[in-house]
Amino acid sequence: MSETNKYVVGFGSDAAKDPRRIVFITRKTSAKVKGEAGPQLMSYPHLILREAIVLQVLIIVLVAVALFWDAPLEQLANSLLTPNPAKAPWYFLGLQELLHYFPPIVAGVLIPTLVVLGLVVIPYFKINVQGEPLWSGNQQRRAQVLVGVVIVLGVLLAVYDAWTVLVPTVLVGTLALLPYFTPSSSARYVQFLRSRTVSWWVMTWFIAVALTLTLVGTFFRGPGWSWVWPWSRHAS
Amino acid sequence: MATTPWIQQRFEKLRGTRVWRSVFRRGPARTNRTRSLAIFGNLSLHLLPVKVREKSLGVRATYYLGSIAFFLFVVLSVTGILLMLYYHPAVPDAYRDMKDLIYVVSNGVFLRNLHRLAAQAMVVAVFWHMFHVFYRGGYKPPHEFNWVVGVGLLLVTLFLSYTGYLLPWDQLAFWAITVGTNIISYVPVLGRPLRFLLLGGHIIGQNALLRFYVLHCVILPLAAVALIAVHFWRIQKDGGLSIRDDHERDE
Amino acid sequence: MAAEDQSKTGEKPESKSPVNRRDFLSEIAGCALAIAGIGAAVVTMEYSEPNVLFEPPTTFRAGSLDDYPVNSVTFIQDQQVYIVRTEKSLWAMSAVCTHLGCITQWKPESNQIACPCHGSKFGRNGNVEAGPAPRSLPHFAVRLTADGALEVDKLETVKEGEILRV
Repeated sequence: MSETNKYVVGFGSDAAKDPRRIVFITRKTSAKVKGEAGPQLMSYPHLILREAIVLQVLIIVLVAVALFWDAPLEQLANSLLTPNPAKAPWYFLGLQELLHYFPPIVAGVLIPTLVVLGLVVIPYFKINVQGEPLWSGNQQRRAQVLVGVVIVLGVLLAVYDAWTVLVPTVLVGTLALLPYFTPSSSARYVQFLRSRTVSWWVMTWFIAVALTLTLVGTFFRGPGWSWVWPWSRHAS
Repeated sequence: MATTPWIQQRFEKLRGTRVWRSVFRRGPARTNRTRSLAIFGNLSLHLLPVKVREKSLGVRATYYLGSIAFFLFVVLSVTGILLMLYYHPAVPDAYRDMKDLIYVVSNGVFLRNLHRLAAQAMVVAVFWHMFHVFYRGGYKPPHEFNWVVGVGLLLVTLFLSYTGYLLPWDQLAFWAITVGTNIISYVPVLGRPLRFLLLGGHIIGQNALLRFYVLHCVILPLAAVALIAVHFWRIQKDGGLSIRDDHERDE
Repeated sequence: MAAEDQSKTGEKPESKSPVNRRDFLSEIAGCALAIAGIGAAVVTMEYSEPNVLFEPPTTFRAGSLDDYPVNSVTFIQDQQVYIVRTEKSLWAMSAVCTHLGCITQWKPESNQIACPCHGSKFGRNGNVEAGPAPRSLPHFAVRLTADGALEVDKLETVKEGEILRV
């Protein structure tokens, strides 16, 4: 709580005789005590009751679905015969799609490691904590940087034929640039986009890419990891 | 359903007995003191704060996603333990036991469906919870470390799901794990030894199944419980559940 | 006051030597704990890596030379091995794709060995012709036993040029 609080403390010339302290709080980066903010209720019963309701609703929904949706069971494991296609569980299909474009050490080791590290350090970056909108400060320079980043990423992805990653990147990049190129627009969605922070854009880009990769890996890949249209596949 | 005064009288009398009061020490939760004790004096509940902010109780504040993830873990533990009663982590017993559970054991197919469904739902819930916490700024100081604990829980969840995936020992399981463990071998320097350790050998066979079983049923659940406890504890110690209004109106 | 405090705790002001007894014992205890901790970790790691593996034998007999016609590729499924015979040579290749471990298939119509998982394609000699596979299919040592049978050793990989001349 020390270095991140940017405040200046000044003392009177003789602190003992004439104590005078002036504190300037220059940035809102101090940890805010929120305990007093708003009325409080006793956890028992208010929180406990609500949690109990959540639990019961959850169980009802789970049981209802489990009664009708059977978990799959394929043939006995056969180490000599690889099914075609051989797909990972759905939450790893995005990764498997990525493996199609990049060598295994990149898609399988490097990128997941970077993703996890990226997630872990989110709260320790000032730019995330401060939460300034992307389009503040020197807008022209920021636009240049953003366009540069999108182009470099785009070229890199195109070299590897990674269209599944390229398309959402370009889409999100376009959305991010929209407020810059329509400065006079007062449409609500443009205002919304304009006020988004850098961290918001990065996370949204990540989710867009991950979602696209997973959807493609699930529905658009058939034997030999070839491209198939979901409606022409037999039921997966 | 109205209780008759007679039953209520009996119950109150029971409550007054020495035996009852030796077990339940605080008395009925009718004053704020006893309501506090209901949380503070309880072994598992004292992870929660005694008071909560009214704003954090609304559905829109958190959509109760964290709670949902936790309750799914509870459901998985219960169904998992029950499934363990019929499952032998050996080749070829494992597959036979799956068929047993589905076609022979009473309510086996239901329990198995429930377990698998809850597992998929938990992965979704954990991801959704993480994204929602991010978008409402719940990682900002003083909650940074809790966010990191959350990432740890995400990894544990994914690894739990992955180790569980092998246990049915069908084609789907076998080849999904083949691809996964071969990816591990691409990690520089440590990759091959790590794969050897994980599989207990060079191939996906008896040793691998047993190790994945132990990971899935013992090691990872213990890790999950420990991290969940820390996760809940940190919420309390960091000043309570953070909601969107706490942070600047940015996200 | 300050001097009294110092003599009570036994600390010497600012002198580097000699080390006082408390600090010395603390360091010894710390080292002992560290050694015990590292020792426990090493013991657990050694325990976790099996010394004996109950896995299928890696050397097998592949019949005799006559079982393999000239210019053929034969897939021995239970061993995951291809036996390739040309006019003048014979070699044994792994059928496990070098990308992520799926079992490949021999496609005579396209004269290629294809992997179903991510579309890797290999030639008869094991070289990568298409797809994300990083290395060519490894060749295994093939020997003729005393009674004229072919013996393949999957643990012994050989370079591509080493073939059995027939």
